[in-house]
Amino acid sequence: VPGLSLAWLVLVGVGSPAILFAVLGGGSLLNRRLSERWTGSLAAASMLIACAALMSAFLIFSATGTGPRLLSYGDWSTSREGGIALEFLVDRKSLGFAALAAVIAGVVAAFSNRYLHREPGYNRYFALLAMFVTGMLLVALAGNVEVLFVGWELVGLSSALLVGFFHERPAPVSNALRVFAVYRISDAAMLSAAVLLRHVAGTDSLSLLFGGAQAATAAGLSGANATIIAVLLIVAVAGKSALLPFSGWLPRAMEGPTPSSAVYYGSLSIHAGCFLLLRSAPLLEQAPAARVLAGVLGSATALFAAVTTRVQSDVKSSLAYASLTQVGIIVVEIAVGWYRIAFLHLAGHACFRLLQFLSAPNVLHDLHGMENAMGDRPSRSAGWFQTLVSNRMRRDLFLFALERGFLDSVVDRVAVEPFMRAARRLTRLDAWLCGAVLSLRPMTIEAMRDQDE
Amino acid sequence: MITNDAIAPHALAALIDRLAHLLPAQGPISIFIHHNPLHAFEDLPFEEAVERAAERLGCEPFLAEARYRDKLATGRILASDVAALLDQQLGPRAAENVAAIGSRFDLWRAIVLHGIPAAAGRELSWILEETTALSHFRRDLPANARLTSATLREQDDPAGEERRAVRRLWDACLLAVGRAGALAAPATAAAPIRHRDWLRAVSGLDIDSWIHPSLIRFLAGYLDQGLAHWPMPERNRGIHGCFLEIYRSSLAARSGAWARRLPHLVNDDSAAERSALESIANSLDRLGVGEDEYEAYLAAELLALRGWSGIVRQIEERPDRVPARDLTVTLRGYLAVRLLCERSALAHAARRIGYGGSLADIRHWLRDRLTPASPPTNLDRAWPFFHVAQLCGLDASIVEQWTAPQVAQLEAELGELDAMRRRRILHQAFERTIRHRLYDALVQHAPRTLSEPPAFQAVFCLDEREESFRRHLEEVEPACETFSTAGFFNVAMYHQGASDAHPRPLCPVAIRPEHYVAEIEADADELAGRSRRLQRRAAGFLGYNVHLGSRSPFRGAVLMTAFGWLALLPLVLRVVFPWLSSRWRRVRETSVAPARTRLQLDRDDRVPPIGTHSGFTVREMAAIVRRMLEDTGLRDRLSPLVLVIGHGSISLNNPHESAHDCGACGGGRGGPNARAFAQMANDPRVRELLAAERLAIDAGTWFVGAQRNTCNNEVTFFDDDLVPVECQRLVGRAKAAIDTARRREAHERCRRFDAVPRWYPPLAAQAHVEGRADDLAQPRPEYGHATNAFCIIGRRMRTRGLFLDRRAFLVSYDPTRDDDGAILGRIMAAVVPVVAGINLEYYFSYVDPTGYGCGTKLPHNVASLLGVMDGAQSDLRAGLPWQMVEIHEPARLTIVVEGRRDRVSRVVGRDPAIDRFVRHRWIWLACLDPESGELSELRSAGFVAHTPEHALPVVKGDSAAWYQGKRGFLSPVSILPDAAAAGASG
Repeated sequence: VPGLSLAWLVLVGVGSPAILFAVLGGGSLLNRRLSERWTGSLAAASMLIACAALMSAFLIFSATGTGPRLLSYGDWSTSREGGIALEFLVDRKSLGFAALAAVIAGVVAAFSNRYLHREPGYNRYFALLAMFVTGMLLVALAGNVEVLFVGWELVGLSSALLVGFFHERPAPVSNALRVFAVYRISDAAMLSAAVLLRHVAGTDSLSLLFGGAQAATAAGLSGANATIIAVLLIVAVAGKSALLPFSGWLPRAMEGPTPSSAVYYGSLSIHAGCFLLLRSAPLLEQAPAARVLAGVLGSATALFAAVTTRVQSDVKSSLAYASLTQVGIIVVEIAVGWYRIAFLHLAGHACFRLLQFLSAPNVLHDLHGMENAMGDRPSRSAGWFQTLVSNRMRRDLFLFALERGFLDSVVDRVAVEPFMRAARRLTRLDAWLCGAVLSLRPMTIEAMRDQDE
Repeated sequence: MITNDAIAPHALAALIDRLAHLLPAQGPISIFIHHNPLHAFEDLPFEEAVERAAERLGCEPFLAEARYRDKLATGRILASDVAALLDQQLGPRAAENVAAIGSRFDLWRAIVLHGIPAAAGRELSWILEETTALSHFRRDLPANARLTSATLREQDDPAGEERRAVRRLWDACLLAVGRAGALAAPATAAAPIRHRDWLRAVSGLDIDSWIHPSLIRFLAGYLDQGLAHWPMPERNRGIHGCFLEIYRSSLAARSGAWARRLPHLVNDDSAAERSALESIANSLDRLGVGEDEYEAYLAAELLALRGWSGIVRQIEERPDRVPARDLTVTLRGYLAVRLLCERSALAHAARRIGYGGSLADIRHWLRDRLTPASPPTNLDRAWPFFHVAQLCGLDASIVEQWTAPQVAQLEAELGELDAMRRRRILHQAFERTIRHRLYDALVQHAPRTLSEPPAFQAVFCLDEREESFRRHLEEVEPACETFSTAGFFNVAMYHQGASDAHPRPLCPVAIRPEHYVAEIEADADELAGRSRRLQRRAAGFLGYNVHLGSRSPFRGAVLMTAFGWLALLPLVLRVVFPWLSSRWRRVRETSVAPARTRLQLDRDDRVPPIGTHSGFTVREMAAIVRRMLEDTGLRDRLSPLVLVIGHGSISLNNPHESAHDCGACGGGRGGPNARAFAQMANDPRVRELLAAERLAIDAGTWFVGAQRNTCNNEVTFFDDDLVPVECQRLVGRAKAAIDTARRREAHERCRRFDAVPRWYPPLAAQAHVEGRADDLAQPRPEYGHATNAFCIIGRRMRTRGLFLDRRAFLVSYDPTRDDDGAILGRIMAAVVPVVAGINLEYYFSYVDPTGYGCGTKLPHNVASLLGVMDGAQSDLRAGLPWQMVEIHEPARLTIVVEGRRDRVSRVVGRDPAIDRFVRHRWIWLACLDPESGELSELRSAGFVAHTPEHALPVVKGDSAAWYQGKRGFLSPVSILPDAAAAGASG
């Protein structure tokens, strides 16, 4: 029975990294960590199974040529208002992306197995990688908002934990915190969109959102409702895919081991937002204002990243901004409505950038080889940039790109500092109130400042 | 601006030059040269130097005490060596009684062997409350103290009895300390120097963490050698000048809250037209730093970003070693920029902490607010006593009787034997153990000479990675003889390969070559040659455009959409099937590489692109050949075939690739040197000249150059087609022997790779190392110089058949043909700095992998094509990555010279650089007497003869019989070939 086998294949594909995560994570929790050899073999087996299952699912689905289908695996919880079901929505896009993600994850797992050999955090790394792959596949295949949200969170959490992988140094930890903070904003937007969707449409099923324009209108998703939900989704996407104004976290995320930077910020995680946008295209079509917003954000990001990548003098930042350039363009393609091209672009970019990121330490070797083959060092020129603008503007543009658009300090000033100030004030208020209620002497300002330190 | 400085040299300039020695001397990473990271401290005895440097640079001088204790447990350090050292160091003080406990020797020995766990303050409270420290005696007690436990065992309630006894002992210690009166508060170890240090100590604000991101970005952009597509504008103005131009825009103030005053300060500098030095002086003045403080203050400034300041200094000194030669790079420029940023950040910090005065006085203001250190509590003081009592088997009743002076004496004793001193002694014992095993082996190993003239000879580099290769070659082909010398074979040149875009120097870094040698294509088929060239160019052009296109928006979009998925093919091939990928690469390379080439060695009048002459004159060639033949002692003992084999290493995804290349070639690959040497020695004109100087080379002797890739063990022979007919059979035999030897060598090397099973079949080993070299995912393509510990300068017969575990640099030298020590002098002058540099680099990178080394490779990020940073952004990391050194044993190099003591000391005394190294014990020196075979080590009192402590085991068969199935370090053994096996193969 083709239906049954497809459902099984998809379940095995998603379940195998989930089981790997459970085994590795559980082992660590119980202080029974598996040896490196066992961890490596288990990871290889699990990735291989996921690859094989999802690729065959994709092939079977393509061969049978049926329309989108909702695979249901029962309810996690039920209530009168409707429960939370484990559902996957399979169509060519979702299965294609899931299969690609599984292949890429498999290659990265094989790479990491040797790259992290003898590393004290080997086990932790693979547990997080399994968590990430599970999350990524859930995002790709999600059939309802809850599944999507769980996947989205797993991707975000594992990402932040891998940025802080080398937690014995301060820089990775503080950068991981920064990444995590941006992800929380994105998650909040996502959650709001989900709640709103349920409220407006009365269902959590994404087949409405992703199923096609008719479905969306039928569910009453139009006009202001559609625009609000779409804008919230775009905020979620912007946070996850490092679009403006959130781009500042992307170079900071390069703290983890090379393969984790590659799979997250070169290949999969950075495209999760684009993919979500692609899936919710029917919704976007109901909300022209949101489409314009996506187009503007995408093109601004592409422009900003294209300029910035050209002055980065370390290979990982240079690649990070190069990735971001393409991500911006993909978002524009979606906003314009070139869905097929956007999907091909996304898939091609994920593969190509992965190779570039994984061989980033080889840059000296590569450039040297190219130089020898071409017979001379290629001349570097600023091209149009050099000739078209005045010296003053050139210097300012260079400074702008060198300081990465001053995004970090803008975010610090606009968001972080007011937030911290507000938090301090609330603490003070809290202390004062408690003091008043308990009729104790209110704390002096100085004492509170000391506490803050 | 610059001319101004030249006229009136500032005292500051000289000071900065002096302070620059504190910085790591590592140049660009693509030409990796091993050096002593502590070269600024070489004027001090080793132990003192490492301890001082550790304090100054915030690094570790030795391994952690626990690591040495592990080595004691596994027998890598012998307790007898610790005792011998203590005896030697304490001298007459050894027998003195300390605080009525026992002799100083026994006390020290017990403490050094078993240690006193460091704990104080809250940590100590936790230990006392939460662990079994107060309910059990230590379980690692020495034998004499165990009596206490033994008596306990006879009690009815041993556990309760032990708890009561331990408790009573602890209380006795506390009381004893209480009787002795309070101690003064310790002087703060390092008083803050910079404003930043004061600020951090008082308020916890770290202005370095504010300014470093921008400063690093600017510096990396300025120094960039071609990674960024847009070069930084205004780079011709020098670091300081360029900074003034770029950061004077009001935009600069947006770099962060700290930068609000930056444009103002920058404009102030530009308006006053200050040079870098003037800017530094001005900044220091504004910061209230007096001239007497300059040295300490500027040193601290330089060390705040040690790696970046180091590379600035390196480029300033050797601009010829980086591709972008048009840059003006000065350390003073960097300092000036740094101080401007700091002033801006300090202004912001002052506002934050509510200080309104001038920056010049902020340090006084902060000083008043610094909380003083508190004196140690009685708990802190009683803790070491508690351990001493246990280690020496003292009963509580004895401790209860300690008087105040006795407590003070013991406290002073423990002050002398603090944790640092214990680590020092343990380290010395560790080195002694390693060193003495080598001495034992050399004294007992019977010299082996060939009974008949050798069939062929092979000259290698002195690299310790060739030790195993030579041993295996001699085992495979007992009729061959091997030699070694510095791997540039005395050919110092700029070499440009036929497919190289630029020449590169191939000689030790101390030499600046004069001669330029090009490799030219000598293909008979001109058309085929041109087509290959075209193919190569096309491939390069395509690669470069993909590299660029992938970073640009529109070309990138087209490229990714249409062809992006194609990247999966190389990705899967290189990651999942590296061995296949290495095969494929080789096929591809042979199809585009020039088929036949020659070295253009002869002098001609063309102006070379670099250096002063194109090629060598015949006389120069003769001198080169002569010197090598004399150095190695080959001279008139040449066999019909002499192989000259250089080495290099090729690996992927490895920014430290060049660190695996030949040190004697300045981090280059020595094949061209070997080839040039062979071509010179084969030249009839050279032979004629040499014959006139009574150094005849037989007409039937032929030299063949080759290169060994130490990573994938491939051996490439050069100019095969020139071998005369009568020699071809012999060349074939030698090649076959080398082919077998390289497989066996790969097999021996694989035993150290954890990922390779213990009982790995020799046949698979060669394929394994080939895969390793082409594996994108492999952070340890080879282990390089790791485990190096010895250098033996002498005849091969002393070491032939001796298994030295790839740990010994071997240098051929014949003491019987060097009456005045001239040859030894020049060998040592060339060799010792190189091998000591390698050894010390490994020592420090292992002892403190994140302080002196560059930490783990996994998050490394190539910056400016000059070095690596950790992750997104960090200081430029000098030193070696952990993956390169992880199997190392940090021990200073032991150099054993075959020669009479008086001659060796004369030679050493003549060379100030080596003399300093030896006198301050940065290396150990020993002599092996050529006649008696007696070995004596140089100590402070002069040469002391060594008497073997352990017998040298003899293993029958070949090396594999000894190493097969073993993972860790192996002690030297004599390998005695099986007579039967030898007969069969012969």
